[in-house]
Amino acid sequence: MNDESKGPSRHQAVKPVGVLGVGVAAPSLRLATSEARAAWGEGGGRGKVAVCGADEDALTLAWEAAEEALAASGSTEVDGLWWGTSRPPFAEGPSHSFLSATLGIDPGGAGGLNSGSPHAGMEALASAWDAVAAGHARRALVVVSDALVPGLGTGSETSYGAGGAAIVLGPAAGAPAVLASRATRSAPVLDRYRADGAYATGDPYDPRLFREEVYLPLMSEVARGAAAGMAALGQADGDRREAATTPVSAWSLADPDGKLAAVLAKKLGTPVPLSAPVQSELGDTGAAAALLGLVGALAEAGTLGAAGYGGGRATAIGVQVDHPVPGADGCAGRLANGRAVGYLDAAKARGLVQAMTDPVPMGLPPGGAAFVRGNPEMLGLLGARCRSCSTISTPPSVHPTCIACGGSDLEEVPLARRGTVVTFVVNHTMPPPFVAPLPLLVLDLQDGARLMVQGTPSDAAFIAIGDPVHLVLRRYALERGVPVYGFKAVLDHATTDETPGDQTFRETAIRG
Amino acid sequence: MSWDRVAVVGAGMIKFGELFDQSYEQMAAGAFAQAIASVDNGLDAGEIQAGIVATQRGSLWGQEGVGGNTVSSAVGLSGVPFTRVENACPSGSDAFRIGAMVVASGVHHTVLVIGVEKMRDKSTAEGLLSRAAAGHPLYNRGETAPVLFAPFATRHMHELGTTPEMLASVAVKNHHNGCLDPYAHFQSDVTVDQVLASAPVCHPLRLLDCCPQTDGAAAVILTTPERARDLTDSPVYVSGFGVATDHPSLHEKSTYIGLPATTKAAGRAFEMSGLRPGDMDMAEVHDCFTITEILDIEDIGFVEKGKGGPASVEGQTAIDGRIPINPSGGLLAKGHPIGATGVAQICECYWQLREEAGERQVAVRHGHALQHNVGGRGSGVSVVNILSRDRAA
Repeated sequence: MNDESKGPSRHQAVKPVGVLGVGVAAPSLRLATSEARAAWGEGGGRGKVAVCGADEDALTLAWEAAEEALAASGSTEVDGLWWGTSRPPFAEGPSHSFLSATLGIDPGGAGGLNSGSPHAGMEALASAWDAVAAGHARRALVVVSDALVPGLGTGSETSYGAGGAAIVLGPAAGAPAVLASRATRSAPVLDRYRADGAYATGDPYDPRLFREEVYLPLMSEVARGAAAGMAALGQADGDRREAATTPVSAWSLADPDGKLAAVLAKKLGTPVPLSAPVQSELGDTGAAAALLGLVGALAEAGTLGAAGYGGGRATAIGVQVDHPVPGADGCAGRLANGRAVGYLDAAKARGLVQAMTDPVPMGLPPGGAAFVRGNPEMLGLLGARCRSCSTISTPPSVHPTCIACGGSDLEEVPLARRGTVVTFVVNHTMPPPFVAPLPLLVLDLQDGARLMVQGTPSDAAFIAIGDPVHLVLRRYALERGVPVYGFKAVLDHATTDETPGDQTFRETAIRG
Repeated sequence: MSWDRVAVVGAGMIKFGELFDQSYEQMAAGAFAQAIASVDNGLDAGEIQAGIVATQRGSLWGQEGVGGNTVSSAVGLSGVPFTRVENACPSGSDAFRIGAMVVASGVHHTVLVIGVEKMRDKSTAEGLLSRAAAGHPLYNRGETAPVLFAPFATRHMHELGTTPEMLASVAVKNHHNGCLDPYAHFQSDVTVDQVLASAPVCHPLRLLDCCPQTDGAAAVILTTPERARDLTDSPVYVSGFGVATDHPSLHEKSTYIGLPATTKAAGRAFEMSGLRPGDMDMAEVHDCFTITEILDIEDIGFVEKGKGGPASVEGQTAIDGRIPINPSGGLLAKGHPIGATGVAQICECYWQLREEAGERQVAVRHGHALQHNVGGRGSGVSVVNILSRDRAA
């Protein structure tokens, strides 16, 4: 196992924890790297990167991956939420409590937000792992997500991407897979970074310096450490598994430039990284990279590893998979439904290019009392069910009486997430900051509640009365810098627009 | 049942349009002057004992707390009791109803009802479209004014077979009527093809399916039937009215092929007056969008549910049709300065019943006219007034 080590292969002594379910999420847009290069007069560029739409961000990706993982794990009850992202919606603010509210996490639960670099994903995983191993949490939800923003005209426009993954951790005994070893290494080096107050992340000063002095040494050291630690499996208390004698057979590796991971995998003597298909589809997913590239591979038995890097820190883990982990199977398919956009649309969606018009401000200030009253019911999608006639009135805080019978004996209930279209409109003429086409759909949900929510622009040309839909969390607005999240309706059948521009709508700009 | 307590003795309005060079106060004074001058035997402004003002949204001209005293001062009646009422798009009709009730109560014998709305002191984006950012941050987000009616169009087409061509025929008729109305914002014809080719605004509504944003003012003078005898040989009487409300959100509707608020308000007005839809010689109904006129004539009972589109295409609602609807050009052509709209519709009914409507005169066989508005949050408020040429027996 300890082949050609180039330094001490220390690993932490850790108790194994079980992997009970996984989920992934990808944003809705894809940008061909050739488009990014052509925008600046350059040729070449292979592949694509994922870009968040104007209503998506690291939090909405986290929500989607987490919902998948919770469903796969067989229960939505967890003792805490551990979230790692280098781009939380608030640099300082209620990012974690907002995500927690959308997932219905116990408000007294454990966990927290790790940020500060793409290593935040591995840090969130390690913290949750420690909590479960210590017995402080029985089930832990780990979510990693990112939506990297490259500077306009920089090389990172061809590598930075976006995506999310989630893992439910629990007792090792009886779990289909266990996290079994872990190694970390830290070095005070500066590679790519985003200064306080800066909007975009910058390239490393010297890519070859980064490769030779930072990425390859740190990542190979922790990878070897984690691989060595797999041999300790079976000696932990209460674990009846046999010692793993197979070295880690394949790695999911953070890949900041789209090439480094292949070099590292070769150096470690393993084949093409597990993360290569995800990297090809989404690009560098920052804090999500190592785990997002791993979870799809948990569908088959084996001994696997994942290593993430960011801000001078590298962490690698070893995973023993005995049975397919619930949720792993569908991962690849869930990442593939992106819609191609051009360079300008991608820049607009990332917030790098904005129309120089005065947006119409939201009637309510997002920090005001109406939001404090409203956030739990908006983020949690709650309605008020009448105990007398069972009608659900939405939202609760503006319905002291039932809309059907006028009664005032109401209880808060979470609403169903699936429904059908009763009627709809598509706005084509909107003032800034709205983006047309903007569908609004009146839905009958499966629990009998009726709701009107926004739809997504890509569905606009396809909506029909009677269509089945499901609700997804999206960012409705970015109001004076504050994100406002809520649920939107997405058509159930595939609406991927393979040829942009085919749709029959057109936007009408309002001028004055 | 019948009602016989209030007469209309004067009606006046200014030309509606984008009146950039007129302030709110100047528009109010203009409509007031027209109303006073219209009283056949003359009326001293000092006879006016109270004013009811309809202005729906002061923020459209940068004024939030517009009060009745803005208008009392503007028309030269400062000191007189003036009250501003607001009930969404039906503000003007509700001001009229309340003015009528004031006269009927006996507290004041002569009341001015005046609607004034300045919409074009703000850009289109900051004006009505800004409604998309008001209201609930999620459940009203993106809800521009067309969103209040477009989902009914979608459902009406789905369930009842209404077509975009039927909607367009409403715009064609009303634009044609507008050519005959010197007060109308738009005075030019449009064709069905032009409507169908106009820019999409809010599917399934296009630009020419929508009323414009318009400045305007209109005023009427109410008094008792006894005093009316001295003021004119042909007063018009208020024979009934009705108001109804519905839930304020579009997801709380019980139906999407009709507006229950209209049906209830009209029912109350018919009951109060002892009249029926068939007794009306004409109606000025709320056609903020083409679909709205189709809903209105069905909901009020002029045609069966689902037949509104065919009735429009067949010409039943033309000036010389079976039931003339919006001979003034409606909101589509005349414009919709919100608070002034209902009062301007009363003006049209007044002129029509007195057979002073010139080229757009309808045949007055029964001597009754109906005026209707619907709108507000969730399209959930409606007011209907019925006027009659003769005093109720």
